[in-house]
Amino acid sequence: MTVRLDQAMVERAAAGCALRLPRGPHRGKLGEVRASSVGSSLELHDFRQYQPGDDLRQIDWNAVARTGELYLRVRQDEVSPRVEVLVDGSASLAISPEKAARVREVAAWVCALARRGGLDPVVIATGSTVRKAGGPAIRALLESLDFDGREPFDVALRRGPPLLPCGLRVVVSDFLFDTPPDPFAMRLARGASGLSLVQVLDPEDLDPSGGAGARLTDSESGEVLERILTPHVVDQYLARLAAHTSLWQAAARRVRAGWSQASAEFNLDVLARKELNELVEVA
Amino acid sequence: MTLGFPFGLLALAAVPALVAAYFLRRRQPPRTVSALFLWRTPDQRAEAGPRLNRFSRESSLALEVLAVLFATLFLTDVRCGQGASKQHVVIVIDGSLSMNARVDGSTAADRARTEVARIARDENAGVLTLIETGVKPTLLAGPQLERDRALSALEKWNPAQPAHDISSALTLARELSGSSEHRIYFLTDGPVAESVVMPPQFEGRSVGKRASNLAFLSAQRRDEAGFAQVTLRVGNFSDVAASVEVRFVAEDDAPQKQTVKLQPSGTAVLRVGFKTDKPITASLPDDALAEDGQLTLLPSPLADVSVSLLESLDPAAQQAVRRFLTVAPGVKLTVPATLTFGPPGSTAGVQLGAKPPLKSFVGPFFAQKGDALLDDVQLGGVVWTAGANPPGRVLMSAGEVVLISEEEDGALHLNLDVSRSNVQRTVAWPVLLSNVVRQARMSSPGFPRKHLMLGEDTPLVASPGSTWELVAPDGQTRPVMGSGVLTLPPLPATGQWRLQKDGKPFDALVVLPLDPRESDLRSRGAWEIIPDKPQVFASFATAHPRPWWPLLVVLMLVLLDFWLTASPRRKEATS
Repeated sequence: MTVRLDQAMVERAAAGCALRLPRGPHRGKLGEVRASSVGSSLELHDFRQYQPGDDLRQIDWNAVARTGELYLRVRQDEVSPRVEVLVDGSASLAISPEKAARVREVAAWVCALARRGGLDPVVIATGSTVRKAGGPAIRALLESLDFDGREPFDVALRRGPPLLPCGLRVVVSDFLFDTPPDPFAMRLARGASGLSLVQVLDPEDLDPSGGAGARLTDSESGEVLERILTPHVVDQYLARLAAHTSLWQAAARRVRAGWSQASAEFNLDVLARKELNELVEVA
Repeated sequence: MTLGFPFGLLALAAVPALVAAYFLRRRQPPRTVSALFLWRTPDQRAEAGPRLNRFSRESSLALEVLAVLFATLFLTDVRCGQGASKQHVVIVIDGSLSMNARVDGSTAADRARTEVARIARDENAGVLTLIETGVKPTLLAGPQLERDRALSALEKWNPAQPAHDISSALTLARELSGSSEHRIYFLTDGPVAESVVMPPQFEGRSVGKRASNLAFLSAQRRDEAGFAQVTLRVGNFSDVAASVEVRFVAEDDAPQKQTVKLQPSGTAVLRVGFKTDKPITASLPDDALAEDGQLTLLPSPLADVSVSLLESLDPAAQQAVRRFLTVAPGVKLTVPATLTFGPPGSTAGVQLGAKPPLKSFVGPFFAQKGDALLDDVQLGGVVWTAGANPPGRVLMSAGEVVLISEEEDGALHLNLDVSRSNVQRTVAWPVLLSNVVRQARMSSPGFPRKHLMLGEDTPLVASPGSTWELVAPDGQTRPVMGSGVLTLPPLPATGQWRLQKDGKPFDALVVLPLDPRESDLRSRGAWEIIPDKPQVFASFATAHPRPWWPLLVVLMLVLLDFWLTASPRRKEATS
């Protein structure tokens, strides 16, 4: 099933904003961002004493005149860092059309921001199959995303290609799977200069309606639990949700990752200005 | 296993309702959630697991269905084993004297006992209700007495009822059977009168046999001056003539014999005299029914009545009364006296005289019919001069003038001016005064009559302020309720009954086993009636309480169910 993505709205939300990149050096194709490797960019990185074999063109003759010793200008490469967007394609992301739409829009919005900054975004989406797309194919991938995954996000990611080193990794998920957050967060942070975790939740996830009995069915595993949704039961759920989210936030802090929570109740424009503004910096 | 209340099976209708309710509960509106683990308490498992797990989650339903089943067992009053044999059988037994007739070595009562035991065995009876017919039906055993105890009680049974209507006993049996649909047995010794309508659920049969019998039909003893005269009537209830020797025995006089020839269905009167004041026994040769051939007649001397005349009584009236008293038997002029004659306005029990204006009547006289004071009082040719009307209930009047009246306290008013009347010179005068004396004699404490026929009401005079008791022939004591002139219901047993006053013997009487209808055994024999509803059975016994164990099991199951369903909530609250 293909869902038309409102690209105009995504571009409108990304207008005037740039993706906030981590301050550390990046690796990637030649571009405009300072790389972690020594290169030939015009921007000076450091000085060091000459050693035999060094490029004589890089000797700073002014320093030689001042000090009488041979000093070499050390310059870094400027690269175009890779932005990797990981999209959770499990069924829980589609328990409502709004939640699924918000996931697609957020992923597309991050990609649009990356493109605006001259970066090269890549989207890896899980589901029944793990797909990867870059460039123009990203939109097609997001529009055809079925959210048919029946296993937790971390399990589904193992079926895909290995996560490559990149500049920025943005993970869009609801993070509502019963997996220890710390190991998974460390795994996500490995090889990435920066990591951002975006949690997209449905209004029913954040504030479930109660008052009657319900046959609760897990959207992924199909497990069933009958409960009378008394205020007490709903309060217990909210407490567990808050505890679960706190665990993820703590795990994100430990790997120096950003954490954003977006409610599918609001459209992308609102989210971009408020909940997701950690990801962007105004141009 | 039997069911005491099969309608209790309707409770099983709750099972489909319970399963449906449980199913509906299981089919609550579905809701897909992102993370079920956030809804689950730590100890909860998913319900959509393996089959065995799913079944374990239905333990509440299983407990509730079991509770319904055990509640059904309780409601249906299920009984197993010995409990199943607790059938209730109601048997009505003829209590008439003729059941004692012994033919071919056994009495009808013995055969009735055997028949009762057979019925109890055939019907698998656990409890019995035995009712004896009679003038007033009585319970021989029960209601719903254990079979062995009921049969034991029947061993002590001695039928001694006069001829009677059995309808009241049949009605009582229907009431005690619990339902008009249950079969009831009726045992008698002969065909039931055609006038009696047997209810359709009755199964009746006769255990009697035809027999010839000689019997006393009536007996009377008169004691005067130490001399006892006994008058008996003997009957021959057979189809052949018989010569009968009747034996008379007095304790302090020589025994006597008289032989009398009796035609078939004929009777004869015998009269003997003894110089004794002790009981006299009369007996006939042994025959089918021995009870009606043995009599004991107690001495029944006429009790003296003390009479006094007040000085203020009119001389003419005094003379008239004295003239009667001189010839009246058993009357003594003494002071103080039981019976006092005086003028109107005095405190005397009999106030004789008339107050002006006087008026004479030659008739017609209107008398209160049936009053004992006016028995045999003939007023033909009588001139009765009366005065102003006396108070009290009118017993006799002429025109608008009350001639005789009686007050509530027993005071008798004879509105009679003896000097201007001729009543005292007619035969009506001694008859009237004899009735007055007899009335006074009858009001003295004790038994006014020493001999009663079977089934006769028992007159008794008990003075207030004392404890009166009746001692039955078998020694059982029963209190006498009330005081004054009493009429007790027929005494239930033949023989000598003693009256005790404050624990000491005071008087005695004999209930004579005399009833010609019971003595005639020629009409006894085979008879049977089958119920119109042959499908009906004996009713189920209700004397034993229904077993409570199913209810206890229900309680335990409900508590277990509560514990099962409540424990997750408790753990949830704790967490």
